[in-house]
Amino acid sequence: MLLFSPLTPLEHAARHVLDWLHGSVGLSWAWSIVALTVIVRMVLVPLTVKQIHSMQNLQRFAPQMKEIQKKYKTDKQKQNEELMKFYRENQINPAASCLPMLAQFPVFIALYYALRNFSHEPAADHPGSLSFLHFIPSIADHTTSHWGGFVLLVVYVLSQMASTLYMSATVDKTQRIIFMLMPLVFVFVIAHFPAGLVLYWVTTNLWTVGQGLITRRLVPKTPVGLVEKKSSRTPPKDDGSSGNGAKPEPDAPKPAPARSQQPPRKVRRKKKAGRR
Amino acid sequence: MTARVGVAAVWLYRLTFGALFPTTCKYHPSCSQYAIDAVRQKGLLRGSLLAGWRLLRCNPWSHGGFDPVR
Repeated sequence: MLLFSPLTPLEHAARHVLDWLHGSVGLSWAWSIVALTVIVRMVLVPLTVKQIHSMQNLQRFAPQMKEIQKKYKTDKQKQNEELMKFYRENQINPAASCLPMLAQFPVFIALYYALRNFSHEPAADHPGSLSFLHFIPSIADHTTSHWGGFVLLVVYVLSQMASTLYMSATVDKTQRIIFMLMPLVFVFVIAHFPAGLVLYWVTTNLWTVGQGLITRRLVPKTPVGLVEKKSSRTPPKDDGSSGNGAKPEPDAPKPAPARSQQPPRKVRRKKKAGRR
Repeated sequence: MTARVGVAAVWLYRLTFGALFPTTCKYHPSCSQYAIDAVRQKGLLRGSLLAGWRLLRCNPWSHGGFDPVR
């Protein structure tokens, strides 16, 4: 019960948006979910574009990073620390960050509750079909309750793998493979979710893939050899120069929004309180 | 003792949603590891606050790096 109170407003918000998309815009419930997902992702675009750019930036340093990895092959901890130090020294802004990822989190949970209630409430409250493209009879039912759900699950696995391909920032091969195989494991969990939630997931994955394709096209990958020697002075992010990282700023200026970088070093509550 | 609750919560996250998102953190102890360390060292309340603050810092505009609980 404890968990519910902070989530209820979110659930209601999700419900309102869905109701609006369904009632006012006139989409079916399933398409409303798709639309809601697209809205969420559109809001997140500035974050993800940033992320993709810095990921491409990161790829230019791959050779040096591989070297560090090789050097500290035996000590993972040390390897990580060295890598992080390398990032900092070169003002690299590693692509992955937890915040944009977590931003999707509440939407997911809110949708979960909203969809769960769908199946409890009388159908009269929700005029309109719950089906999707004729192969999912009801988006509020468990995904596996109909053969169409299995199709959706297959699409989910494929889309999840594809989006991993585009978004995972890790250079480590084995880690990449693990992430690629993750959806195969996760599909068993997700199979118990309402089909609408899987629909959300598929949509958001496809969005990721599309976004990856577009940004990759707009921002061609810089040939590694070209920048290798200048890399120590490459600006932290190349959003201004549209990914043509071949011309780094001379003095690696501190990015304006580096504000977020300062607080971590705050002295506040830095020591003691050593109760356990 | 209450710290265990926090650690368990982080693991719950790792095994469920964490598995869904193929991102790796930009900080050295990753956000989830940081949360575990913070809760262990500072207790549930302050640990959670620290972890929350770390999550806010883990955004596309920060630089990441080595950042243990201190």
